[in-house]
Amino acid sequence: MKAVIDFSNFILPFMYLITFGFYFHDFMKGGKKFVNSKRLFLFLTLLFHFFYLLLRTIEFDHPPITNVFEIFTVLAFSVSFSYFILELVTDIRGTGPFIIVFSIVFQVISSLYIQDLLQVKEVLRNHLLGIHVFSALLGYSAITISAVYGFLYLILYKDIKLNKFGLLFDRLPSLEVLERLSFSSAIIGFVLLTFAIIIGIIWLPKAFPNFSYADPKLIGTSMVWILYGIGITNKVLGKLHGKKVILLSIIGFVLAILSTIITNFIARSFHSFY
Amino acid sequence: MNLLAISINHKTAPVELREALYLNHDEIVSFAENTKDKLFSEGLIVSTCNRTEIYGIPARPNTTFTDLQNTIINYKSVTGLKSEHFQLFQSSEAIKHLFSVATGIDSLLIGDNQIFKQVKDSFQLAEDSHFAGFLMKRIFDSAIRAGKRAITETAISEGAVTVSYAAVQLIEKIFSNLNKKSALVIGAGETGEIAAKHLKERGIGKLAITNRTLERAEKLAEKLQAKTLPFTSFKNFLHEYDIVLSATSSENLIITKDDIKTSMKKRNYNACVFMDIAIPRDIDPEAKSIDYVFYNDIDSLNIIVQQNLSKRKEEIPKVEKIIDEELNSFLSWFNSLEAAPTIKTLRDYFEAVRAEEVDKNKNRFSPEDQEKLEIITKRIINKILHHPTVEIKKFSESGGNTDEAAIKISLIRELFDLDKNGEKEK
Repeated sequence: MKAVIDFSNFILPFMYLITFGFYFHDFMKGGKKFVNSKRLFLFLTLLFHFFYLLLRTIEFDHPPITNVFEIFTVLAFSVSFSYFILELVTDIRGTGPFIIVFSIVFQVISSLYIQDLLQVKEVLRNHLLGIHVFSALLGYSAITISAVYGFLYLILYKDIKLNKFGLLFDRLPSLEVLERLSFSSAIIGFVLLTFAIIIGIIWLPKAFPNFSYADPKLIGTSMVWILYGIGITNKVLGKLHGKKVILLSIIGFVLAILSTIITNFIARSFHSFY
Repeated sequence: MNLLAISINHKTAPVELREALYLNHDEIVSFAENTKDKLFSEGLIVSTCNRTEIYGIPARPNTTFTDLQNTIINYKSVTGLKSEHFQLFQSSEAIKHLFSVATGIDSLLIGDNQIFKQVKDSFQLAEDSHFAGFLMKRIFDSAIRAGKRAITETAISEGAVTVSYAAVQLIEKIFSNLNKKSALVIGAGETGEIAAKHLKERGIGKLAITNRTLERAEKLAEKLQAKTLPFTSFKNFLHEYDIVLSATSSENLIITKDDIKTSMKKRNYNACVFMDIAIPRDIDPEAKSIDYVFYNDIDSLNIIVQQNLSKRKEEIPKVEKIIDEELNSFLSWFNSLEAAPTIKTLRDYFEAVRAEEVDKNKNRFSPEDQEKLEIITKRIINKILHHPTVEIKKFSESGGNTDEAAIKISLIRELFDLDKNGEKEK
């Protein structure tokens, strides 16, 4: 089984690259050459990736969340998986390259540096921790997608204002659709983060004797959560719309990235498992 | 194939001459009646605001392009037309030209969809008036196939190529669903009417029209099931509309930046599109600096039009490839009409010679050998004719130049005097 895991680890970045190639070709050429095959290939890549994660869980007897590079492969999966669901629901197929590129980056880093740990802390084998981490990662993926659509919204907004009718103008969906996609992703991200935080607050103090509410990861995630909460509430109440909501989403994403970098690579706390 | 075609179009003649030669429905029917069996055995007439084209199989072998030109000029009593105003096509070139027209690559607006429908209607009219015969119907099928393929297999008809369509295309890049949006059209003139129609076709949720002359606005509103606003007070309602499209002939600005600022405040800065398709402009262009105001005038819409036209031009080689394929397919079919009878006549002729000679000489052979003689001579004839038969089939199947195939077939017919021999057999 180890050989299969190693092979999958090697092949996954290429599968994401090929999927990206299909999406990128259709985006650049504007044709419909790969209109169905690109979605099928994304599905196959995700299926393959899912079995890879499953095999790792079975082989190493713990969910793939024990080190940052395992988390990267889960992130690669969850970003593309979230996009896949979004594409199925909305049938907007033109924005794939902007999302899948994130999966490529995460998966390449993961494939290069991932370690096969057989000996891990007992707490990392806990299912509640698995649910906590997976919901947090899916939440962050949704936030990433929200930020990408937000960024595309800002570019298209500017292009239309400046009468620049180039490739993005031709291929991207309307501003309203981009705003809606960004907002829907933000809501999904917010709900998943809420879930992760609730599990964390209930379970972490019991699991870790040195638990602290001053933990940088907890503070960082809470700040991101509060920011999205403010944005979503104001949007629902009709006080904010368009560029302002989009900017909040992008700031939230940047904050989430900064918080992840600081808490994983700089600060050390009970929340660092590796 | 003896097909002749003349065309007067936007490339060859000014609009006055094209207009003068334009044939309406009744004129086409009457022209077809006048020329059927006299000038043409069958034919087709395509007449639009940009072109008048006459295609026909001459009833007499000595019919010339001049005869065609004179017939139409005399029919319409047009003066000032010269031979250089006409494009002349013969045989496969005439069919190729018709395919170019049907696919829109010969149009003033490249990829124009309307011409495809007009060609279809022209064929229908030719069929109804019994002007189109067996050959024209087959040409029609191929032309329609080429037109459909051009639309589905290439991007020749994609993108807006008129200012009013470009305005709609731009609006659809801002709003996702026009059903939920409202639009106000200022000016009920020709441009305003076209733009309002486009919005209605795209399913705009609420449409209002305002015009300096209220009656004109009411007339257009009735046609499009829209409401009207008084021209003197429409600014009070500006904030109620997501799209404001102005196309008046006013010399001064109708909507100022301050009007738009006030309106945007009232609508809580929800996105609003201002399309100014008037010359001179109706809306203050400074308004574009206001957040969530998408302002566009003729110049910016023309950028979209020019870009789309360039993209369509890039599609022309793909359409030409489709035209060539359809032309070859048609010519293969047409050549096969000539080839099959030629092969049959040639084989019949050789069989007749063989049978005659065997009959003359069979008494020189014993009864057992007579049967062998029959078999051997038949085998010789088959072997001799095998290669010519294959070659004749090739002429027809290659789909190449129909005239070249016709020359080769006629050479064979002449060499063996097949036409005379064929007659004798009949």
